[in-house]
Amino acid sequence: MRKALYAFAIVLACVAMTQGALRAQCTLPIGARVVLYGTSDDPDVFVWDSRFRMRSYAQGSFDQARALLPHALLVEPGTRARIVTCVAGFVESKYSDRADDAIGIVIVSGRYRGRGGWVLETDVRSMLRHPRR
Amino acid sequence: MFTVFLVIVLAVAVQGAFQTRASIAQTFDRQSRIEQAQVALEELLRLQIDEENSVRGYILNRDLFYLQQYAGAVASFDRKEQTVRLALEAEQLNGALTMLEQYATLQQQWRTQVARPMLARPDRSMEEIDKQNKAFSDYENRTADAIRLVLANTNAALALSTQTQINQTLYVRAFWLLVFGLMTILFNAYGSRVSKELEEERTTTEILQRAFRSQHVPLPNCEVGSAYLAASSHLAVGGDVFDVYRLSGNLALVLIADVSGKGVDAAVITAFIKFTIRGIALRRRDPGAMLAEFNTAFAQTVENPYLFVSMFVGVLDTQTLQLRYASAGHDSAFVRRSTGVQQLAVTGPVLGVMEEPFETKTLFLEDGDMLVLATDGLTEARDRSGEQLHEEGAMRLIEQSSVHPQPLADELIARVKALGGNTMRDDLAILAIRVRDPQVSDA
Repeated sequence: MRKALYAFAIVLACVAMTQGALRAQCTLPIGARVVLYGTSDDPDVFVWDSRFRMRSYAQGSFDQARALLPHALLVEPGTRARIVTCVAGFVESKYSDRADDAIGIVIVSGRYRGRGGWVLETDVRSMLRHPRR
Repeated sequence: MFTVFLVIVLAVAVQGAFQTRASIAQTFDRQSRIEQAQVALEELLRLQIDEENSVRGYILNRDLFYLQQYAGAVASFDRKEQTVRLALEAEQLNGALTMLEQYATLQQQWRTQVARPMLARPDRSMEEIDKQNKAFSDYENRTADAIRLVLANTNAALALSTQTQINQTLYVRAFWLLVFGLMTILFNAYGSRVSKELEEERTTTEILQRAFRSQHVPLPNCEVGSAYLAASSHLAVGGDVFDVYRLSGNLALVLIADVSGKGVDAAVITAFIKFTIRGIALRRRDPGAMLAEFNTAFAQTVENPYLFVSMFVGVLDTQTLQLRYASAGHDSAFVRRSTGVQQLAVTGPVLGVMEEPFETKTLFLEDGDMLVLATDGLTEARDRSGEQLHEEGAMRLIEQSSVHPQPLADELIARVKALGGNTMRDDLAILAIRVRDPQVSDA
């Protein structure tokens, strides 16, 4: 299990290195601790095993999306995670001018603790403290 | 011409304003429908969440209340969906309609594929159904976002259209206002010029009349008074003339006339009348003959067929107090005696119309009698209700006025002016001569 986790982390790190130019545009820094939380109406969060599947889910038809569900974990709101990589503006939407970042995370709490995956930028809440004045 | 143009400009401006108002009102109606659809869509989303929460509530608590709430939310959702559909149909937003149908279908599928199994077996593992639930929720929200976007864009386009219409209206109104203002300025300038010309003509006429109106020559055994008041209107000034002229030791010519025309032309005719009659009177003593000769001279001199003259001519013997007179259609001639006021008869037609003989009448005045001659401004004077004074009213006024000529003339003028509310429709000339019997005076 631990080996698998390390392997996934290495893969994510490699991906992150190839996206170095884009990473700078992500809103949250690598290594940041975050809480997973969707919208207030629907706070559960999908954690995907691939950012491309995540994008297909966001952009495809409903039937296509349902076919992708086995590749996603449904985590409870409030689950903690750490950011290990980020691809800025990866998930574009037909109904929004702004594209979402695809954020690679490792879950650090709850029943899926230690699992890695991809989430949308909008499903992530930062735990960073505000800098002191 | 100017007035017609101004009215047309005003009518176009007013019509344009109404047209724009209708157009803007129509756009506002459409915006109102769109906003109602936006509100209904938000309520639809709230009902969707209510359905999901009711299902979750039942699973957690097994309380039937949540099932009732779920059933209520389902019914309300369907009604609200119908409201949004009607608004979108009214605006012919076909793309949004398609998405609304997708949204409603998804919600229906969610009920059968997620809600129903969850409610039927609340104890079983929820993981797969939860994922399905999440997927439905995501897609419904996404579809709702798309409908929201269409409505917001349509609303923005309508707002822009309204703003454009308002701007266009503003520019068009400003243009017509400018045209109207310019026309008004031109109209005022034209009116001022015309008014100035009329005022100049009136002044000229009054100057001419003053010049032609002679000072009364003192007559033995007579007291003479006169007054003249020009009409209020510029156009009505000009045609009245009176004269008292001493022909020889005891004889005096008494004249009053009214020319049918007005303005400078009429004023010039009054001069013609005055000096022609004087000239004739120096050769003839018979007033009827004077009028006949004047009638011929007038017809030969004045070419305007629409001009005619009413005239009273009298020759007064100031010793015997005999008055011989002739009246060419001039009925405003009166004698005030101690017994009352008597109107002097007309003895022929007005001058300048036809060749007719004029009868001369003779009248003997007594000590204190007063000959009162006026132009038609007296008998045709009207009160504020439009009622004419006529001869009876004139005689009543004369009887009520002073026994001395000048105060009587002034009083008559003042009363006629007051009668019409200080407005004179026509010129008014008054000539009054009070005789004294020399034998009575000597005694």
